[in-house]
Amino acid sequence: AQLKKQSTTGKWSNKQRVLVFCARGVNFRTRHLMTDVRTLMPHSKKDVKLDRKDKLFVVNEVCEMKNCNNTVFFEMRRKSDLFMWLAKTPDGPSVKFLVENVHTMDELRLTGNHLKGSRPLLSFDSTFEEQPHLQLLKEMLIQIYGTPNYHPKSKPFVDHVLNFSWADNRVWFRNYQIVDTEVDKEMTTTLNEVGPRFVLNPIRIFAGSFCGATLWENPFYVSPNEFRRQQRRAASTKYLQRVQ
Amino acid sequence: LGKLQLKKETINDVAGLEQKLSGFDQRQLPWLERMEITATKPIEIPDINDDFSRELAFYNQALAAVEIGRHKLEELGVLHKRPEDYFAEMVKSDDHMQKIRTKLIEEKKAMERSE
Repeated sequence: AQLKKQSTTGKWSNKQRVLVFCARGVNFRTRHLMTDVRTLMPHSKKDVKLDRKDKLFVVNEVCEMKNCNNTVFFEMRRKSDLFMWLAKTPDGPSVKFLVENVHTMDELRLTGNHLKGSRPLLSFDSTFEEQPHLQLLKEMLIQIYGTPNYHPKSKPFVDHVLNFSWADNRVWFRNYQIVDTEVDKEMTTTLNEVGPRFVLNPIRIFAGSFCGATLWENPFYVSPNEFRRQQRRAASTKYLQRVQ
Repeated sequence: LGKLQLKKETINDVAGLEQKLSGFDQRQLPWLERMEITATKPIEIPDINDDFSRELAFYNQALAAVEIGRHKLEELGVLHKRPEDYFAEMVKSDDHMQKIRTKLIEEKKAMERSE
């Protein structure tokens, strides 16, 4: 009965607002990814780039000024390693991810397209229910990437699906358009990928928003620096091994 | 890359995570507010580095979710399909879609020429 009431009264009750912005010093691809994320989220707001000298805690104040209760924050280190923060401001929790395999909408030559501002279905695989840290990640992804019902800037149609899968200890993000085609007078549903694509490798979950105790740490995470170092080391012994 | 060393001890504060989750979760909200669908089984990818099988697994997961999701929407009596004559701004601009189309046609022609 409660469900029916919700669908008939057109009231915007779940007021999630997401601030999507970045620190100074991100490259063009990150900037494009950020605009892609914004176009997928009619409930997002933007702000100017954050100065790199500022402590990350400042993000909370920016959010408060912008009247947002969620953040997607991009920062880049060494001009090559992209990190994404998801945070519930001001009380937390927050998660830091390493973003890998970024492909923006412009780069990918995908034929899918959907309405700007339509509400997405959010698809998760069952692994997200298995462990506490994954449940927490899932809840954050739902609240941040899902568009609230009856949001003023949203359109009341459902024509795309955001797919989150947990594989290889990472969250894989895909966005598909829902297409109905009539074949022999029977409607069949297919999907067309729209983009962008990215993979989120979680590093840590913090209790607070950009602060607080660590609640979870990824045992499989290798920092990009360490990864490059090990690769170089492996390469340096290549000839030694050949001699022996 | 099996040689990469893993950290021996990592933090996993289960009680803390659960407490935090109960502090902000909205799982009690009606489904329509969240439109979230969780698959019944974990995703199976034989080889994560094989693009085709990986993308197929994602596709199948999304397609199954769409079927469930649409069924739920129809049960709730929500109009979710866009009318044929409804035009509005899309995520990708017409320019961009045109570019993709010409590219596809070019590729097709190139294939035919090589045959």
